[in-house]
Amino acid sequence: MANKNIRSLSSRKGLDDNLFENIAELSHKNAPKKDFQKLAKRFLVDDSVIVGTSSFYDFTREENRAKKIHVCSGTACMVAKTQTNLQKNIEKHFKKEEIGHAACVGHCHTNNAFMFDDKTFSAATNEELTEILSMRGQSGTPNNSYNIASNTTPVLTSKIEKVSNFYALSEKFKANPQQVIQELKTSNLRGRGGAGFPFWFKLDAVIKEPLNATGEETQKYIVCNADEGDPGAYSDMYLLEHQPHKVLFGMYMSGLSVGADTGVLYIRGEYPDSIRIVSNAIQELKDNKLIGNFKFKIIRGQGSYVCGEETALLNSIEGLRPEVRVRPPYPTQYGLYGKPTVLSNVETFANIHWILENGGAAYASLGTKLSTGTKLVSLDSFFNAPGIYEIEMGTPLATVFNEFGKGVKSDIKAFQLGGPLGGIIPMHKIEELSLDFESLKSNGFLLGHASVVSIPTDFPMIKFLEHLLEFTADESCGKCYPCRIGSFRGMELLQKAQNEDYKIDQHLFADLLETLEIGSLCALGGGVPLPIKNGLMYFKEELNQYFTSN
Amino acid sequence: MKAFINNIAYDFITGETILDFVRRIENNKNAIPTMCQDNRLENFGSCRVCSVEVALQKDGPTKTMASCHTPVTKDLYIYHNTEKIKRLRKNIVELVLSDYPTDKVFPAEDKKATPFQETIAQIGIPNVRYPEGENHLELEPDRSHPYIKSDLSQCINCFRCVRACEEIQGEMILGMSGRGFATNIIKGFDETFDESACVSCGACVQTCPTEALTDKFETKTLIADKTVRTTCTYCGVGCQLDVSVIDGKIRGIQAPETAEVNEGHTCLKGRFAFQFYDHPDRLREPMIKKNGKFEEVSWDEAYDFIAHKLIDIKNRHGADSIGAISSSRATNEENYLMQKMIRAAIGTNNIDGCARVCHAPTAYGMQESFGTGAATNSIEDLKQTDAIFLFGANPLKAHPVTGAKIKQAFMKGVTSIVVDPIKTSLAELADFHLQIRPGTNVAILNMIAHYIIKENLVNQHFIDAYTEKYEEFKAHVENLDMDELETLTGVSKALVRKAAIAYAKSERAMEFHGLGVTEHFQGSKTVMLLSNLAMMTGNIGKHGVGLNPLRGQNNVQGAADMGVQPHQGAGYMDVNNPENQKYYAEKYGVEKMPEFEGLKIPEMLDAAIEGKLKALYIMGEDTIMTDPNTNHSIKAFENLELIVVQELFMTATTRMADVVLPASSYFEKNGTFTNGERRVQRVNKVIEPIGNTKPDGQMVIDVMSRLGYDQPTGLTYDAAKVIEEIADVIPFMKGLSWERLGENGLQWPIKEDGTDTKMLHIDGHFKKGIGTFHHFDFEESPEISSHGEKYPFILTTGRELEHYNSGTMTRRTDNQTILPKDVLEVHPRDAKEKGIKDNETVRIFSDRGSVHVPIKYSKNVKRGVLRTTFHQPEVFINLITGSVGDKETMTPEYKVVAVDFERI
Repeated sequence: MANKNIRSLSSRKGLDDNLFENIAELSHKNAPKKDFQKLAKRFLVDDSVIVGTSSFYDFTREENRAKKIHVCSGTACMVAKTQTNLQKNIEKHFKKEEIGHAACVGHCHTNNAFMFDDKTFSAATNEELTEILSMRGQSGTPNNSYNIASNTTPVLTSKIEKVSNFYALSEKFKANPQQVIQELKTSNLRGRGGAGFPFWFKLDAVIKEPLNATGEETQKYIVCNADEGDPGAYSDMYLLEHQPHKVLFGMYMSGLSVGADTGVLYIRGEYPDSIRIVSNAIQELKDNKLIGNFKFKIIRGQGSYVCGEETALLNSIEGLRPEVRVRPPYPTQYGLYGKPTVLSNVETFANIHWILENGGAAYASLGTKLSTGTKLVSLDSFFNAPGIYEIEMGTPLATVFNEFGKGVKSDIKAFQLGGPLGGIIPMHKIEELSLDFESLKSNGFLLGHASVVSIPTDFPMIKFLEHLLEFTADESCGKCYPCRIGSFRGMELLQKAQNEDYKIDQHLFADLLETLEIGSLCALGGGVPLPIKNGLMYFKEELNQYFTSN
Repeated sequence: MKAFINNIAYDFITGETILDFVRRIENNKNAIPTMCQDNRLENFGSCRVCSVEVALQKDGPTKTMASCHTPVTKDLYIYHNTEKIKRLRKNIVELVLSDYPTDKVFPAEDKKATPFQETIAQIGIPNVRYPEGENHLELEPDRSHPYIKSDLSQCINCFRCVRACEEIQGEMILGMSGRGFATNIIKGFDETFDESACVSCGACVQTCPTEALTDKFETKTLIADKTVRTTCTYCGVGCQLDVSVIDGKIRGIQAPETAEVNEGHTCLKGRFAFQFYDHPDRLREPMIKKNGKFEEVSWDEAYDFIAHKLIDIKNRHGADSIGAISSSRATNEENYLMQKMIRAAIGTNNIDGCARVCHAPTAYGMQESFGTGAATNSIEDLKQTDAIFLFGANPLKAHPVTGAKIKQAFMKGVTSIVVDPIKTSLAELADFHLQIRPGTNVAILNMIAHYIIKENLVNQHFIDAYTEKYEEFKAHVENLDMDELETLTGVSKALVRKAAIAYAKSERAMEFHGLGVTEHFQGSKTVMLLSNLAMMTGNIGKHGVGLNPLRGQNNVQGAADMGVQPHQGAGYMDVNNPENQKYYAEKYGVEKMPEFEGLKIPEMLDAAIEGKLKALYIMGEDTIMTDPNTNHSIKAFENLELIVVQELFMTATTRMADVVLPASSYFEKNGTFTNGERRVQRVNKVIEPIGNTKPDGQMVIDVMSRLGYDQPTGLTYDAAKVIEEIADVIPFMKGLSWERLGENGLQWPIKEDGTDTKMLHIDGHFKKGIGTFHHFDFEESPEISSHGEKYPFILTTGRELEHYNSGTMTRRTDNQTILPKDVLEVHPRDAKEKGIKDNETVRIFSDRGSVHVPIKYSKNVKRGVLRTTFHQPEVFINLITGSVGDKETMTPEYKVVAVDFERI
C-alpha cells in the first residue's frame, strides 16, 4: 500500500484538524504560497503533498480558484441542451474567467443548472438568473423540488414522525450487535452504490478485525459514500436532504455493531444544501443526546468523480491524492487512516432502520430473491414526471417509466441507466427489463445507482460516446495507464472522427475498449466500455460512418 | 497449499503475490513484464502490464488481474502468457508510446537499455496506431541540480520516483500534480530540484525505468567495462556500492538491491560524491619537507628518511617517545598493521585513533555495563521494534540510510523519543522531543530512570536474573530532586515522565545514540546510563531492542576491534596484562611487547608540548583541523621532531608534516570495513592506485620492514592474507576469512565455522557474565563552570548531510556546490538582541580564540544555544573549541563550548 507515511502523518491530526479540509480552505481563499507551505510544515509533509492534492480537484486547483459561478456540465443538462443558453446568460453577469464548471449539481429534473453562492439553482431565463444573482448572501434553501413516490412499502421515502422515537430503536440492539449483523444478513441488503456487495459482510469483516498490539480495541470507522457523482443521479441527494436521519441512523447502528465511534460522511461539494441539512441533523442529534459518544464528521468533496470509488474516497478524506488504492487490503481491513472501515453508500445506510424495525425477513420479502428491498430511481427532465421514485426491486422498467415517469416528453432513442458507466438501453429493450441487479446485468446493462438519463433521438450517439470518454478522461485519477492514457486517446479518436476527415480503425478501437475494460485498476476506466459497447451495438447504423469498415 | 501456473500445481507461500509466485517458480525475474513495480516499493498497480488471467477451475472462465498486487489463493489457476494477456500488454505499451519520444524507444548505440526499453522489447514493440494527439513531449528538462536531471518528456508516470522518495528515503519531495492525462511529476511546490528540499539521495534516479530521471554520470545506461561491489567509505552504515568502471575510470555508482545493509539505497555521498578520487588535488608523490618546502622524493627516499628518523628517536628517547594515530577510514587490515607496527616493530602502546574524538566513551561505557563495546543489535531490528529512543544523534544527516529507516519508522507511528538540544527533523517527527540544554545528558537520563522506577515499569525479572548493582542505582535516582533537574535540563518534568513511560511500556525498545552522547565531559557516564535504561526495562538480548551506537566513520568499529587504542590490543585484550603481552608477542613473533598502556591522543599532544613525545606517525587523519583547541594542537606539532602523514590530500595536518606519503583511496585497494552493527564487509579494489600512491597498508608494511620487522604475510599488502592473521589473533573473529565474507559480510563474533552473530547478550547472557548498573550525579562541565559566565552562549557542533567530517573528500565533489559553507545557527531573538541580521557574518569567540562565520536564523536551537558544523577550513571552528574531555576516555567535549558572538 503506497503513501503509508503521508497517511500516518495526516492521521496524527485526524478528522478534527483534517488535512484535506485545510487544503480546501486555503485553496478557496486563494491563499498565498507561503500559507500552503506553512500547512505542509505543520503536517510534517513536504510541499508536493499539498500541491498534489490541491491540484487534483475542480474546486481547489489553482486555475479554478477565481471562479465565482459553476455551470453544470452533467449529462442530463447536456442532452437537454439547456447549458449553452445558460452560459450565455451568465456571461452577461460574469467575466469568462469567473465562470467554471461543475459535473452535475443534481438538478437533472429541471436542467439549466448551476452553482452559485454555495447553492445550486436552475434558471431557464436571464430574468430568473438575474433574480437568483440578486439574492446573493441570503440564507435559505433554494427551490429544488421534484416528484417523490413509491410503488411499494416505503422503506426509504416514508416520513419520520419524531426523531427521538426513531433513534430509540437503537436501544434494542445495543446489547447485541451480532443481531444487527444477523438481521442485515437475513435481509440480504446489497450495497446501493452500484457494486451490490452484501452489506452485512462488511460489518462482519470489521467486527472480526483483531485487537491492536497492546490488546486494545483498535480505532474503526464508518464512512458514508455521499459522493453521488453519477451525472443524472440525485437519489442520494434526496436522502441527504429529505431523510438525513435514515442515513445517520444507519451509520450509527453500523458503528454500534462493529465498535466504531466515528462516522464520516463524504458529501460532494456540488450538493451544498445536502451538507447544510445533514449538518443540522447531526446538531439535532447532539443537542438531544441521541447518539451517546458517537461522533459524526462531514467531509466536503471538492469536485472529483473518482472520489466515489471507495479507496479514492478514503485517500481523499486523508488529504492524499484520491488515487485508487490496490486491493487487497480491503477497506474493512485497511480503510480510513489505515484502520478497519465500513464504507457504503448513502442509500445502503438509509435502509438499515427499516430492516431493524421490521426484521430482515420482511425486507427480504420485498423485491426479488437476489435483489431484495427497494431502489430509488431518479428520472430526468425528459420524463413528464421527473423525480425520485422508490421502486420495489424486480419491477418492470416500463412500469417505472410509464406509471411514475408518465412517459417521455419528446422522441427518445435510448436511456442511460446507472450513470456514466451504466448501460445505454435502446428504447425497444425497455419492455424486456426489470429494475434489479440480475435482469440488467444479464442483458448487458447495469443497475448501478439507478439514475436515468434520456438520450433524445436527435442527439448524435457519437457525441454521447465522446461525452462519456471525455468525462472519464476528465475524471480519471491518472494512476493506471489504461484509464489515464486510454480514455484520453479514445476521446481524441471520437473527436477527430467528427471534426476531420478521419475514420477510426475499428480494431484499434476494439483493442482500446478491451484494454480499458480488463486492464483498468478501478471501475471508472473498467466501466466506460460498457455503455460504449452498447452504443456500438444498438446504434451501429448511426456510428458506422466514423469507423473503418474492416 | 497449491496453486496452478498454466495448469501445473505448485506450492505457494501465504501472502505471496501472483507476480512473486510466478517469478519464483519459473526462476525468472522477467517471467512477467512490469513497469511500475520495484521490489523495494509497495505494490502499486498502475502500469497493468503484469496482468494475468486467473480462473477458479481449470480452463474455467477467467478474470484479468494485475499480478503485482493480487495474492495467490488456494487452487487458483494462473495463465500469464495467453493471447489475451499478450494483446493487453502490447496495447498498453502502444498507449504509453503514444506519449513517449520515438527516438527513445530503442537504446542509443553506446548506451545500455533502460528497464523500460527492456520491458517493451520483451512485450514486443507495437506500431502506434493512434493519430498524433496531445502529449508531453515538449516539457523542458530541469538541469538545476548538480547531480540529478529530470526530463519529463520521457516520463511514463509509473510513480516509482514518487514512491521511492517517500518509501525509501522518507521524503516527499517528488509528488504528482493534476489528474488524468495531465498528471505530472512535481518537485516540492512545483519547482526545480534545486529550489526544492531534495536531499539528493538519488533513489528516484535509480528506480526510474526511463531516462526521465538521470544523474549527471548517466549511471543507469552506462555500458561499463566492469562493475565492482565495494563498501562505502562515508559513514558507519556500511552501504554496499556497485561501482562502474570504464577505461580505468570510475563512471558511476548504484546501490545493489542484494545488499543486506542498504537494500538498494544509499545517500548522495555514497552515490554521487566519488569525484574526489582523481581530483587534481590528490597527492600523487611522496614528499619530504626540505628547508621548509615540500619536495617530491622517491618512495625509497621517503621510507629511508622515516625509518632512519624513527630509529634515531627511539635510540635517543626510547620507544615511548613515538606515537601514532591510525585511521577509522582505513581498512581493518591497515589498522591492524598500523597498531602492530607501533607495538611490535617500535615497541610502544602509543597508538590511538580517531575513535578518541568520537566513540571511545561508547566502547568504554558499554564494556563497563555489558562487557562488549559494540552495538548489541542489528539495523534490521528496526523492522521489529515498537519504540525508538534516539539520543544525541542526527542520523538523517550523518547516517542517511539508517536515518531514513528510522524516519520511516517514526512516520509510520512507532513510539519515538528524541533527546537532542537541536530540533532536528527527526525530533520534529518524534512523539517526544526532550530538547535539553547541551551537556545535561546525565541529568535527563536520571530523570527518565526516576520516572520508570516511580511508575513501577521496571522489568524486575530481568534485573534480578541478569544484572548487578541495581539497588544502588535505584536508591540513587529515586532520591533525586526532579524540580532541580527540570531547571538544569530545561525540559519539563511532565514531558520527561511521559517519554519515560512510553519507552518503558513498549514491548521492544531500541536505543540509538551518536556523538551527542559521547563528545561530552560526562560521555562515558551517559553511555552507562543508557545501558541502565535498556537493562532496567529488559531491552537487551532479543530482536528489536538494545543499545546501538551510530558509529561515525566507516570503520571506527573496526579500528577499535583491531587494537587501535592505547590500552587494548587487537581483540580488546588489556595490554597491561602480562599474559596478554605474551599472547601478542607469540602471535606477532616478537620477543616482547610493551608493558604499559600508551597515550591517548590528547595525552600525546600534551606529551609533545612537554617534550616527551618526539615523533608522531599519522595515517589518514586531519588532526589539526578536527581536534579541539587548534592552537594547542599546533603548539604540540611544532614541538615534534618528526611528523609523518599518510594522506589523500594536503590538509592542515600534512602542511605541518616532515614527510607526506600519498595514499590510495578506498577505491584503489582491498580490505574490509566494519560497520556500526559489527558487520565486517569487503572493500574491493575498483581501480588501480592513482599516480604514485600506495595503499596505507602497503606503506605500513614497507616502513615496518625497514624498522626490521617483516610482515609474515609477505611484503606486498594482501588483505586476504592479513585477514587470516587477524582471524588467528582476535578470538572473536576466528572464523573470519576473505572468502567467507561474501557479498554481505559477517557480523562478529564469528565462530570458527564461520557462523556470525546478529545480536549480542542473547536472553540477558552478558558478555561479562552479568550486566552492571552504574550510577552518577549530573556534574556541570568545567567548560561551563569556568567560562560560562564570561561566555554565556553554548556552542554545539554537528554535521550536515552533504559533507563528511572535515570535508577533504566531499569538498572536492559537487557536494560543495550544494552546500558551500558552514553557518552558525542562532535563535533569531538572540541575534536580534545583538542587532545582527540573518546571513550576516559574525565573530564568535571563546576562551581559546575566535573565528568568523555567517549566521542563520534558526528556531531549531533554543535561546542561548548556537550550532555550527566543521566541514569548511575557512571557518576552522576548532580554533575556539576547548580542552575539556570525557573524564574516562578524554574524548573532547565538542558539543559544549562556552562562547559569545558579536557583529564585525
